[in-house]
Amino acid sequence: MSILPSIIQEKEVIVCAGSGGVGKTTTAASIALRAAIDGKKAAVLTIDPARRLASSLGLKALSNDPTRVDVKTFEKTGIKVKGELWAAMLDTKTTFDKVVQQYAPTPEQAERIIANRFYRNISGTLSGTQEYMAMEKLYELHADGGYDVIVIDTPPTRNALDFLEAPKRMTDFFESRVLRWFLLPYMKAGGGVMRMANVAATTFLKIVKRIVGTEVLEDTAEFFGNLEGMYEGFKERARAVARLLQSNETTFVIVTSPAEDSVAEATFFATRLNESGLPFGALVVNRVHPQIGDPVELKPRQLAKLESEDGAGRLLAKLIENEQSFRRVVELEEANLKELARKIPSHMWVRVPYLEQEAVDLPGLLAISEQLFH
Amino acid sequence: MTLDEFFAPKILIVSGKGGVGKTTVAAALAVLAARGGRKVCIAEVDQKGTLPKLFGGAHPGFTPKEMSPGVWGLKITPEEAMEEYLRVQYHMRRISKVFTSTHFVDYVTTAAPGLKDILVLGKVWYLEEGKAGAAGHRFDTIILDAPAAGHMLTFLSAPMGLSDALRVGPVRKQSDWMIEMLRDPARTRVHLVTLAEEMPVTETIETSEALRTSVGLNEGMVFANAVYTRLFTPTEESRLAKRGELDGELAVAAKAVGVELEEEDIDGLIGYARFLTARRKIQSRHLKKLKAKTEAPVVELPYLFSAGLGLPDIEVLADVIQRGIEETDA
Repeated sequence: MSILPSIIQEKEVIVCAGSGGVGKTTTAASIALRAAIDGKKAAVLTIDPARRLASSLGLKALSNDPTRVDVKTFEKTGIKVKGELWAAMLDTKTTFDKVVQQYAPTPEQAERIIANRFYRNISGTLSGTQEYMAMEKLYELHADGGYDVIVIDTPPTRNALDFLEAPKRMTDFFESRVLRWFLLPYMKAGGGVMRMANVAATTFLKIVKRIVGTEVLEDTAEFFGNLEGMYEGFKERARAVARLLQSNETTFVIVTSPAEDSVAEATFFATRLNESGLPFGALVVNRVHPQIGDPVELKPRQLAKLESEDGAGRLLAKLIENEQSFRRVVELEEANLKELARKIPSHMWVRVPYLEQEAVDLPGLLAISEQLFH
Repeated sequence: MTLDEFFAPKILIVSGKGGVGKTTVAAALAVLAARGGRKVCIAEVDQKGTLPKLFGGAHPGFTPKEMSPGVWGLKITPEEAMEEYLRVQYHMRRISKVFTSTHFVDYVTTAAPGLKDILVLGKVWYLEEGKAGAAGHRFDTIILDAPAAGHMLTFLSAPMGLSDALRVGPVRKQSDWMIEMLRDPARTRVHLVTLAEEMPVTETIETSEALRTSVGLNEGMVFANAVYTRLFTPTEESRLAKRGELDGELAVAAKAVGVELEEEDIDGLIGYARFLTARRKIQSRHLKKLKAKTEAPVVELPYLFSAGLGLPDIEVLADVIQRGIEETDA
């Protein structure tokens, strides 16, 4: 019995986490679909720019604000949905702009920040920004969206730690004393006295300036100058997000494939969730090679004889060769999963076999959903 | 194309999304280059340590280390690259230590994004020149296993971005040198690695297109990794789909060599054969799209069933790549 049916009944926020390329987005969408079928107002928020998700839901595109999947789309495919299914794709920049507008003391200051070049770089490239904004968007949808269930996938970060620590790292970054010390001579608010006090910083900056140029430093200083007075707001919000993630309204679903790398990441992630006091609900193992029938046992000599034949004998040799290859993979996968089994109790496991079709449409998602909730 | 032509550009950048087997392909290219007597350096950027797993031995550091005959490895971190850069360019040994502590590299690279990538490419440039930082080595082939994070294009177009952002100064001049190195077809080629799956194929097509147009780098080949090898003929596939009389024929053939086939045995044999056919069908749909939409030659690399890749697998892939190169029109 899958643990997922009880999760969608009891939880409001379901976070799907795991390494890249393990089918997180599809898993998140399939969970949300099932919640909608069961009568919930469900939303799936994806971080990955997975274009296929939009088309598989019969939508032209996904945006930062949720779009409802048309009732007619469900009718056409014969899927009975008692609730509603909504889908959104995170736009990091737009979400960040909204945060700035919300916490800036005046609209003018918000505009200055948004127009700043350093800010534009941050909202695009600083590691952790995407994770931070994902949490921000999740919080917003949970607080104001009126959804019964929100399912979110996480950014495909190599290191699961990135995602858990993103809000804290971002606020640390903004508040860093080191950075402010270096930039003081550039901040207008610094004034003459401060300049004098920072001879060391000035010397240091001269070198930096020689390397990257004045503009970069001025942009950076202007950004941090404008950010003055907004830190409390940021921090308060980060605390609220942390509270939501730790509450019993939330659960984490770890998604993995049986491949060595992603199993290692899943094991690590399970440990981290535990340490961070975050609620862990289920483990989904995707793309498991199937175990079919019984293995054929024969000696190499017998196989060699079959290979030398033609017709049915030759075909049988190829069938045996193919079966042996796949059984080796199955064995390898089981060995990889053994480590995970020591960490995660069996009632939390949900295994989804490698399906013979991709989830390119609603029936495809439904097929995965059935495997997940079986 | 001959192998000599393929390896004529000294710098090979191997790029691809995370999890597509980029490092494996980079390693196979290194082995192939070394077979021809070239002194090869393979540079890893991400700290995942796949290289030592493939070649055996300890993790390489910032100084090149021989991992297998003729193949040297090193790991480039922005911090070490920054320190070396300051030391070599500005003779600032002490101050460079301040930079590398205190997370300063984090801030500077955020203020000027692309700087991190430039530092990595700068190290490649040092290696190419055989200058300081190459530790006395002169390599014939330098293979850069590009970072997996973010979009491939972010990394490959970093020097252009930085060059646009900075009007003057030494970094501007150096990023121009970097662009020159990257855009010269006699010096650098970009090879892309993908899986026959939706997301990586889509990104590869986008990257390939952008390389030719906006970015202006020279694309080498596209390696489609982990493609299931065809085992059954179309006639066999349709017989396997129908089954029917086939069960009996297989049982008879097995009996002839002294093996009794139970129904569950045949279920397994046919089940896995159908599984292979179904997966191949999905893959070939994506491969068709990939080949139609990229101008670069696509070389398919086989899915290897072995338990955890090692040097013997790398040798197998090197053989396949060699055939792929030789079959490609120059």
